[in-house]
Parts: sequence; structure tokens; C-alpha cells
Amino acid sequence: MRKTLILILGLLLVLTSLSSSQVKTIKMWAMGEEAKNLGIMAEKFEKETGIKVEVQALPWTAAFSKILTGIAGRQLPDMAMMGTTWMAPFSAMGAFEELNKYMSKSNIVKPDKFFPASWETVVYGGNIYGIPWYVDVRVMYYRTDMLKEVGYDKAPATWDELYDAIKKLSQKYGVGKCGLGLSPTEAANFLPFVWQNGGDIIDRNKNILVKNPEFIEALEFYSRFYRENLVAKGGANVFVDFESGLLPVFFSGPWMISMIKEQVPKITGKWAIALMPKKKSRTSFVGGSNWVIFTTSKNKDSAWKFIEFMSRPENQLEWYKILRSLPAVKETWKNKELSEDPFTKVFGEQLSDAKSTPIIPEWDKIETALGRRVEEVCLGKKDVKETVELLYEDLRKILKK
Amino acid sequence: MRKRKVGIVQQIFVHGFLILASIVTATPFFWMISTSFKTPQEIYTIPPKFIPSEITLKNYVDLFKGVNFGRPLLNTIIIALIAPPLSILLNSMAGYAFSKFRFKGRELLMLLILGTMMIPGQMTLIPAYLVVRFLNMLNTYRGIIIPGLVGAGSIFFWRQFIKGIPDEIIESAKIDGANELLIYFKIILPLSTPFLVTSFVFAFIGAWNAFLWPLIVATDERMYTLPVAVSIIAGQYGENIGTILAGSTLVVLPILIVFLIAQKYVIRGIAMTGLKF
Amino acid sequence: MRNTLWEVFLFVGPSLLLLLIFTVLPVITSLFLSITDFNAYSFMDWSRTNIVWFQNFIEVLHDDLFWKSVFNTIYAFLLAYPTTIFFSLLFAFLLNRKETYFKNFFRLLIYLPSVTSTIAVAVVWSWILNPKYGLLNWFLSFFGVPRQEWLSDTKWAMFAVVALVVWKAIGPNMLLFIAGLQGIPEELYEAAEIDGANRWQQFFYITLPGLKPILLFVSVMLGIGYLQLFEEPYMLTGGGPLNSTLSIVLYLYQKGFRAFEFGYASSVAFILFLMIFGLTYIQMKLRIYQE
Repeated sequence: MRKTLILILGLLLVLTSLSSSQVKTIKMWAMGEEAKNLGIMAEKFEKETGIKVEVQALPWTAAFSKILTGIAGRQLPDMAMMGTTWMAPFSAMGAFEELNKYMSKSNIVKPDKFFPASWETVVYGGNIYGIPWYVDVRVMYYRTDMLKEVGYDKAPATWDELYDAIKKLSQKYGVGKCGLGLSPTEAANFLPFVWQNGGDIIDRNKNILVKNPEFIEALEFYSRFYRENLVAKGGANVFVDFESGLLPVFFSGPWMISMIKEQVPKITGKWAIALMPKKKSRTSFVGGSNWVIFTTSKNKDSAWKFIEFMSRPENQLEWYKILRSLPAVKETWKNKELSEDPFTKVFGEQLSDAKSTPIIPEWDKIETALGRRVEEVCLGKKDVKETVELLYEDLRKILKK
Repeated sequence: MRKRKVGIVQQIFVHGFLILASIVTATPFFWMISTSFKTPQEIYTIPPKFIPSEITLKNYVDLFKGVNFGRPLLNTIIIALIAPPLSILLNSMAGYAFSKFRFKGRELLMLLILGTMMIPGQMTLIPAYLVVRFLNMLNTYRGIIIPGLVGAGSIFFWRQFIKGIPDEIIESAKIDGANELLIYFKIILPLSTPFLVTSFVFAFIGAWNAFLWPLIVATDERMYTLPVAVSIIAGQYGENIGTILAGSTLVVLPILIVFLIAQKYVIRGIAMTGLKF
Repeated sequence: MRNTLWEVFLFVGPSLLLLLIFTVLPVITSLFLSITDFNAYSFMDWSRTNIVWFQNFIEVLHDDLFWKSVFNTIYAFLLAYPTTIFFSLLFAFLLNRKETYFKNFFRLLIYLPSVTSTIAVAVVWSWILNPKYGLLNWFLSFFGVPRQEWLSDTKWAMFAVVALVVWKAIGPNMLLFIAGLQGIPEELYEAAEIDGANRWQQFFYITLPGLKPILLFVSVMLGIGYLQLFEEPYMLTGGGPLNSTLSIVLYLYQKGFRAFEFGYASSVAFILFLMIFGLTYIQMKLRIYQE
């Protein structure tokens, strides 16, 4: 029994060492669904270049820890897909190869080919550490039938309309029976309102902007929904509440489309998506995934070839067809498959007015502090003025100003 | 056998309480199984349905499409079969020494060993990984199994259980000329059958469910274990919960079988030794 | 008669060696980091780490969120610890009664929480605790209790977390107590019965003393585990609302794995270590556990 086991293991060992002989191979980390489907693209890439791509799939839940330990132990593949919010911390560690020199030689990968908001997520301290792969942008999900009942044939287009619509819905269905979906601890949910008002939390030089009227006004507007009990509370989950009408309006990303279609097919045709509401602008939050090459890689040129391959519009389109992730390359959007899809079209339009949170190493701490203070206002523990002062102090400590 | 007269009221009360308690504790488990057979529309219905109105195997089909189970299953079986016996042997030997040996600094050493459990695992994860890398054990079964073999908790477990074995048995064996090894194998281990089974169940479940450590030690997918392979299908935004729970169900079922068999053994073990210490 | 060094070495040596390499070494490393400013920049280049001695500790002690997490952790501990021991013991007694039927069946059902997947647990609990559709509010409504927002009310969130903690812990600890009860020789009871001892006397003079070693084990392990509360708030509330379920380990996880301030996180871990060590030391010295 033991002998056979050793024999089998030995055989496996020999087989694996044989297969990895002369062929050039790049190793890659990718997460979840993406990892499972990357094989299709890898095959095509191998046919074209002769370079083999070996994908190691990581579960989303533990990918962060895996990458962190990998960096600590210098045990990294050649490249990886990287969530945009993870760019700053790992760039700060010096784990990613600076890509400026590859860029200058490339005519496929150029900054102006990508959405500016998405491109922002790869720039850290003036250098380029990644190339956008696909993007996520938040838009407004709303129940067309319910809004029609209170006189909105289209989605609320401005802050005032949004407030008015929610107010009317709540009057019609009963206070507390119906409200806007907000999530105060999540920067991606709150910050767009500040951006829409022309403000921000910090600027490029890390000056703190939370005492500016734009920020204060946005916080006033946001927390007003809580003060006046216009927020969907005590629901079950997004799908059930969207169907029941408790949550007629909320903000989310493209992944929600297929989930709503699958989970609550009963309301098909009774919901749509629209751009974020306008104050001074209609700015939304953009996320997604980028490609990075690790500094420890010995196959950087091959890895770069794969990035170029994935950045070509036709391959971006192919990937869109596989997983419906939104292409980061602008040119791809000219394609009919995207421009004529009623949902995708909206995301495309929103992408031209979207921002990412700053790619700086302190961001995580800033987000935690922001979430804590915004939640305090919304739950009525502190008023806006006091909160802004406290938040200013938090940020001053974090940024050591 | 002690037999006592027990009032019917007491019996009803006790059993009623146990039925209620086991319903409360077992609900999530059955919900997990029933949801793994639900269609996407039914998963999020409120109030939830415990028996799906339409039983579907789609979740399981998706699971088998998405995950290659062969190698991860083999890895998990190898780990879950090798780790528990080794771990029980090492820990129980140490536990025996800490419970019955007489040597200087015994209690202090035990406390210090327990001290290793007082630093959260999150803090020791990266250093432990660096040690394993230094020993060239990344991506091996050794690297997955060996670091977790000895645990302060398990040593302490054995120390406390062996304490219940009367000193006289050991002393008389010593007078008969038995050395410590002989005493351990001929007296301590046979007398520990119920604890042996309990700790085997714990160690088996631990090895079978191990997730983060095997993932971190693996540098390619060939060393993935079953829980790691299953978790990959879980998306960033928690979509396809049905498939995820189908995976969880598949991972858990072998544990239940082991538990059921082990339960039988506990009883047989008790019957065999009669627990006459 | 003392054991020879050779015997001690044979029995304890292998375990101690493995423990030293794979556990003690990482623990010492982690404790050492508490006097450094190890952060994101140190990962690729360890030379960028400086010794700052007690700087981290001073900052930690002035950190209001740290104190909040200490308060929350102790609160959770005081709620969960007695409850777990009480229910595990109760079930163990009931399932060790000669007169109880379907023992294996009940034992299995009560043990099931420990083998249920984390995600199923998280989803079911948030459903049970859901204000509108949840089982708990539905049940309480029969007693005239108004609808509560279990997870988004600072009053209740910690209770919800503790309920989950206790529910998960009862199964394994019950098994340990059952094993402990079965380890008490039957003859002791028979002898006591002949001497005319009633059930309560048997309980206090035979059962409880016989359970002492395992009771110490369970108490110590629960103490160590509960002061390191992490998984349950992590999956149920994420520390909220308003940090009312932020535990010490959850806080150091956020500091370490999210903000990469490993130096700072290590000093939090060190303070936690002292707390747990103190509790364990007291438990090991308490007379109620001594033979």
C-alpha cells in the first residue's frame, strides 16, 4: 500500500518535471471566476506566441493573505491580476515592476487608450505599476414601475430629484417601508456624492478637504436620508428587497445585473439602470482589476507580452463575451455588442465620469476613519459639523500633516 | 449497571429539551444541504423554504464543471490520514510526560507551551510561512502537515485526560519492571480509547477542513486541498451561493461519516475497557 | 522518583522541537515586531524597519479604538464563557444519562454546527437575526417583544455575535465533557450507592471531582479562544455598528492585514498575550481545579 503510494507520487513527480521542459512558461495568479476562464485566453495566447501560461487560481476570500505572504517570502509568480483597491498597498511595498520602460516601446498599451479613471488606479507615486484589464463602475439601479407611480418616467437625474422621488415613495408606501440603499461605512458608496458636488476628501498633495463646503454639503445630503428615515432598513438582502419594493433605488456595479436576473426573475422589465444623480457632475466610483508583473519575475518580457495581448481591443471584446466584465480599453466600446446592449451602454456612459479613490499607501486608514465618522453622523451620534472636525483630526494624524 | 427509577415527567422534559436544542443547533446544517439543491430564484426567498419546491442538481453540476476534484481530493485524503495518527502520537506522549512524569519545571514548561496559543494566528502566519520556506517545504505534503502536528492545546488535552488515570496502575507496572515506553503503549494508550477517538475526530476534521495554510504553502494548484479547490468558485461578490453550498456539503459529508463511525468506536471502546481504571 | 532526562527527552523532545520551530519561533518574531515600526515598506526590504522600543505601546494605550476593542472583548468573554460551559455541561449530563434515548442522534445534531461551512453559518445567522423576516423576531413577537434590529443596533450586536460563538462552541465542548464523564469509573457510583449517597451527593463528591481535569482543560481553552474572538464578528458584523463588536483581534487584523502596520498590530497582540496569560495562570492556580 505504502509502496504503491510512493510509486504513484514518484511517477507524478517525473511527469511534472518532464512537461515543464523547454517551453517558455509564465506563471500567473488570478482569482475566482476569472481564473477558471482565463484558460481560453491563455490557449489563444500560446498559439500566437508559443508562450505557455500557467494560471494558479486563488479564492477571493484568501487572495489578499496569499499575496501578502508571497511578497514576504518572495515566492511569487511572474504576474497577477490585482483588484484596483489592492494596487496602492502592494505598490508601496515595491512588489510590482515599474512598467514605464515597457510602455514606451509599446504601441498597444498607451495611457490614452484606457478610461482615465481606470488608468488612475495603476499610477502610484508618478510611476506605472499595472495595466487595466477590466473595470467596474457603480450606477443607479431603480424600479421603473415604482418610480412611475410617483411621477418619474425616467430615473431621478439630479440630487433634488433623487431626494424628491424617495420622499414621495416613502409617503406613498409608508415611512420606513421604502427607502434608498446606502452604506455609510463604504467609501465607494459615500464618496461619489462628494465628487458629484465638486469636492473630495483629500487632493493630490494630500491636503485635507473635508472642511470644504462641498464635502460638508455632500455629508448633509447623504445623512439627511437617515435623519428623515428615507433609508431602506431591516431588509433581507438586496434581491428580495429590490423585488419587494423596500429598496427601489440603490447603487451598485455591473456584477449585479446577472445576479438580479437570476435571483429575482419576477421583476424582469420592471427595473433599469441609470447614471448617478447630478449635482455639479454625475461622478461615480470605478474599480476593477489590473495586470501587474512582480519584481521577482524572471520572465518579465513574456509577461508583458501577455498584458499587451489582453489589452488588444479584440481580446478585450472576447473577454467581455466570456464573463461580461467591462473592457478597460475605450476602443472596444465602439463595438455593437457593447454599445447596443441596454445595460452595458449605461456603464459605458458612466465610465466617462468616474473616479477611483486615491492610490496612496495611507488609503486604507483613511477609508476606515471616513467610514467610522460617516456612520456616526448617519446613526445620529454626532452632527455634521462636529464630525467634520473629528474626521479632519483623524486624517491629520494619518497623513502626519 | 446502575438503574434508577426515573419519573415520566422528567423523561419528557429532558427529551423535549434535547429535541428543541438539536433543532436549534442543526438548522444551519440542514439549510446548507437544502439550499445546495435549490434553484437561484428560491435561494433568496423570504421566509426561506427548507424543502425546495423544485429540486435541482444544477449546483452540483456547476461545481463539477468548475472544479477539478481528483487531485484536491487525493491531497486531502492523504493529509487527513497521515496527520491525525502522527499528531495523536506526538501530543499524547508529551501529554503523558506533562501529566505523570516528575521533572523540574514541568508546570512552568506547560504554561509556556500554552503561551504559544495566546498570540493570534493572524500574527504568526507570515513568520511561520517564512520558516517553512526556509526549510524548503513549500508546495509539499510535509509543509502542509508538519507545522500543525504538535499543538499546545492537544498536549494540554492529553495531559488533562491522562491525569484521570490513577498513579497506582503506573507505579505497580514500574515495580514489575516496565519502562515508560512500555507503560505508555501497554497501559496509557489502551486506557485512553474514548479520548483517542475524540482527538482523532478533532484532528481529522482539522486536517480535512484546513484551508488558509494549505493555500499559502501551495505554489501551484497541484497541491490544493478540497476546501481550497471548492472556495475558488466563490466569487468576489458572493454570487452563486447555491454552488458554494453544494461544495461545502460535499466537503462536509466525509466528516460526518467519520464522526458516525467514531461514535460507534467510542462506545465499543468503552465497552471493551469497561473503563476500569 | 524523578524521571531521567533521557525519558523526558524521549517523550517531550519531538513535540517540543516541532513546537519550537513552527510555533515558538513565529511567536517570538511576532512579539519582536512590537518594538519595531514594521510596515508596508518593510516587506520587500527589511532594512527599512527601525527599532522604536515602546513607541507602539504608547500609541496603542492612547488609541480610543483599542480601548473600545478591549472593552468589547471582555464584555463578549463575560457573556460567552459561563454560557458555553453551562450548556456544554448540561448537554453532556443529559446525553450521559442512562435513561436518555437516541443519545447518538442528539449528540450528532448538537455537534453539527462545528462541521457546517462558515458561509452557510453566516448566511443562516443573518437570516435568523433579520429584523423583518428573521426567525428570532418572529418568535419573540409571540411574547409581545417589539421588532429589534439585532445586527444594526449597538445594544444588541454583541449579543448576536456571542450567540453565534456559543452555538459553535457547545458541540465540541459537550463531546469533551461526555468523554470526561465516561472516564469516571462506574464502581465509584456503585460504592457510593451502597453507602447510601443520594444523587446530589454523588454529583458533588464523585462527578464534579472526576470532571476537574477536563473542566480545567475546557476553561483554559475557552479563555484562550474567547479573548481571541475574531471569526464571528468578522463574518457577522465586520466590527460594526459603530465598532460595537470590534474585538481586539479584529482590530489588530485591520491594523496588520489592512493597514500593514505590523509593528503596531504586534504590540496590540502583545498586550492581548499578557491578558490571556494572566487569565490562564489564574485558572491553572485556582483551587477548584486541583485534585
